Amino acid sequence: MQILAISPDPNERSQGLAEKLRARYRFLADRDLAVTRRYGFVHPRGGPSGQDVPIPTTVVIDRRGIVRWLRVADNYQVRPDPADVARAARGL
Amino acid sequence: MMRFVPALLSVVVSLGAAVAYLSLLRVPAIRNHPALYLAGFALGAAIAAAAVWRSARWPNLAALAFSVALLVLGGYFNFVFARLPAASTVLKVGEAAPDFTLPDATGAAVTLASFRDQRPVVLVFYRGYW
Repeated sequence: MQILAISPDPNERSQGLAEKLRARYRFLADRDLAVTRRYGFVHPRGGPSGQDVPIPTTVVIDRRGIVRWLRVADNYQVRPDPADVARAARGL
Repeated sequence: MMRFVPALLSVVVSLGAAVAYLSLLRVPAIRNHPALYLAGFALGAAIAAAAVWRSARWPNLAALAFSVALLVLGGYFNFVFARLPAASTVLKVGEAAPDFTLPDATGAAVTLASFRDQRPVVLVFYRGYW
């Protein structure tokens, strides 16, 4: 499977995070939140200085481009268990 | 000295709950149950309340004030501050994911549709550092 991690962070920051995590993620920069907004995952004025920020969300998409699994956080402390994501993506 | 053991225990339980939760953030089963640290704070407050009920001396009162303060702050953080609004229901299971192109960390353009018929894709929207 391909993991694409999307945030408004600039690329240099995301690259640093990727190296720190030694993750096989590809980090994509959505500087103006255009894609995040199109997906409906924007928390209006949720940032510390009142800026819009993403709602942490995980989406599993099959080979045909269809959404098969979706978890939208309702509390930012809570993230999907990677084992659940792997299970959702297995066999797609 | 022995009679202030419950006050000390209360502080240790409350602080221990906060330290344990923060140090186990990488364990999904802990991270995804923030109520665990609230339970620790509540236990600390209950121990201190019992100590105060037996003897309203200042160490017991201080332990009660400390653990209740942690419980109130933790409850506010978990139930109010960390709450997120519902996402708009643009995306539904069973529907096509909207295509997009974004630059990756090397500046190369990545298009969602390029993975079509290749492999499944997991999109992780995260908040970043701001």
